[in-house]
Amino acid sequence: MHNSFSPLERFVRGLFLAFMLVWSVGPIFFIVLSSFKRQVDIFVYPPKLIFVPTIDNYLKLATQWNGFFHAMGNSLIVAIGATVLAGIVSFLGGYAYSRYRSRLTSWTAVYMIAVRVLPPIVVTLPLFPVVDRLGLSDTHILLILLYATFWVSLNTMIMKNFFDQIPYELDEAAYVDGATEWQLVTRILIRLTLQGMAAGSIFVFVYAWNEYLFAMIFTTNNAKTAPLILSELMGAIDGTVWGVLFAGVTLQLVPVVLLVTLARRYLIAGLTAGSVKG
Amino acid sequence: MYSRPRLTTWLYLSPLHLLLLAVLTLPSFYVLWLSLNQSTYGTGLTWVGLDNYRTVFADGYFWRAALNTFFVVNGVVYVELVVALALAVLFVSGVPLRGLMFACILMPYAISEVVAVLVWKMMMDPSIGTISRTLELMGFGLLNWSASPTIGLTLVGVINVWMNLPFTFLMIYSGLLAIDTSLYEAAHIDGATRWQRFTRITLPLLVPTLLIALIFRLIFAFRMFSEVWLLTKGGPARMSEVLAVYLYEHGFRYGDFGIAAATGWMMVVGSLLLASVFLLAMQRSMRGA
Repeated sequence: MHNSFSPLERFVRGLFLAFMLVWSVGPIFFIVLSSFKRQVDIFVYPPKLIFVPTIDNYLKLATQWNGFFHAMGNSLIVAIGATVLAGIVSFLGGYAYSRYRSRLTSWTAVYMIAVRVLPPIVVTLPLFPVVDRLGLSDTHILLILLYATFWVSLNTMIMKNFFDQIPYELDEAAYVDGATEWQLVTRILIRLTLQGMAAGSIFVFVYAWNEYLFAMIFTTNNAKTAPLILSELMGAIDGTVWGVLFAGVTLQLVPVVLLVTLARRYLIAGLTAGSVKG
Repeated sequence: MYSRPRLTTWLYLSPLHLLLLAVLTLPSFYVLWLSLNQSTYGTGLTWVGLDNYRTVFADGYFWRAALNTFFVVNGVVYVELVVALALAVLFVSGVPLRGLMFACILMPYAISEVVAVLVWKMMMDPSIGTISRTLELMGFGLLNWSASPTIGLTLVGVINVWMNLPFTFLMIYSGLLAIDTSLYEAAHIDGATRWQRFTRITLPLLVPTLLIALIFRLIFAFRMFSEVWLLTKGGPARMSEVLAVYLYEHGFRYGDFGIAAATGWMMVVGSLLLASVFLLAMQRSMRGA
């Protein structure tokens, strides 16, 4: 599609794009930049863009705030665990919803989406006493279960859309060659739905890596994740450690920002698999 | 080409439904039970019938929180949809360095609520914040969000839009990609202006996508907790609470799970009502042969 824009239109479009770029990237840029500044330079107004960078904040973080790295490890365990669990569950579910249909399956699918609508804070109330009694409080496994559950509904729908695009003739050919259903699903179809798995995995990983509410209510020590530690440092700030806090925040956000920006193709693929077919 | 479900079909579906049952469905029914009892952190239940609901309805703070939620949700969602639509249209019609620009727009999606609140809090700090000082120099006065619930909630809304715009943009952009470009070419040949093409082709075909994005965002904004909790803790004097914060205060601060559960059950019903349009449409499309 070739659009020819007048100079005025081009100016307005450029202005809007520039604003949206500053709006999106500015705050992140501000954090990362500040993490390399000396304490006295951080709040200088107007902010300095040119300064002598220092890694002091990172050194202090490494030497004084051991808890932060433990929490980063927890975040990684929990995020990977939730991603794998949700991946397996929604892969199997997506296959079933794509190939089999009845009144009952359609209602269970609606139910699957409907429960996803529940606000997370509501389930913290009933789970709180139960989790305690089961000895699951402050464990990785609890967070993994919670995080995976909040994404399996949507990821199952994404996987269903990907399975829908694989012609049924392929299933039939595999059956004619003597494959069992389990072999068909785990050996053949899995390779054709990897894009959908990638999209779903990013959603879960980003959510689990960044989540705050469940981590706050259900972890006290062992399983504390990075966002929680950062929120505590932010609340307890005494005016002397801003730079160190920024260093921690930078370490927390860089991996996941890279993941999202590098894998953006899969995010679009995940969301278009449904809408393309109308 | 669908088959009727067999026994194995339900086996494929069982991990999914076991998770949902254990983590979401059974707990949400237990919330209903909790809301009809008085309890401390969910232990030592005493049946009180509808008393918790009566108490909540008579509580001025509840209504304050409900109103705040209403205003923030509506303020956030419509602004976000319009901006995301404009941005998506811009991207589809071509921008320079598209890949890089796209990556930049997506970045806030990767940021934790904790970090988002931290950075906006910093930039808007009345005495040291870069943006607040710039606004002050421009003559907007001192924006002290910790003293004024209105300004505090406005900042909550700004943070919420900042974090969620990328996802809304992605949804709408994906919807735009699905529109058949030959329609535009035909319209172009027929002499339609760009505005006509937008209002006669793009918008009507985008209605389903926009509706889904709208419902999604309404539901997700409705449960908003972290931004408010981390920014204002509901203050000053509980004036900036939203429903989720009201629930948290009563449940985990005062240990009164009865009141919290009553609030929670109302949030469940509210969310389901918001989602019902979408759910019914979905059931129709998946009913099968």
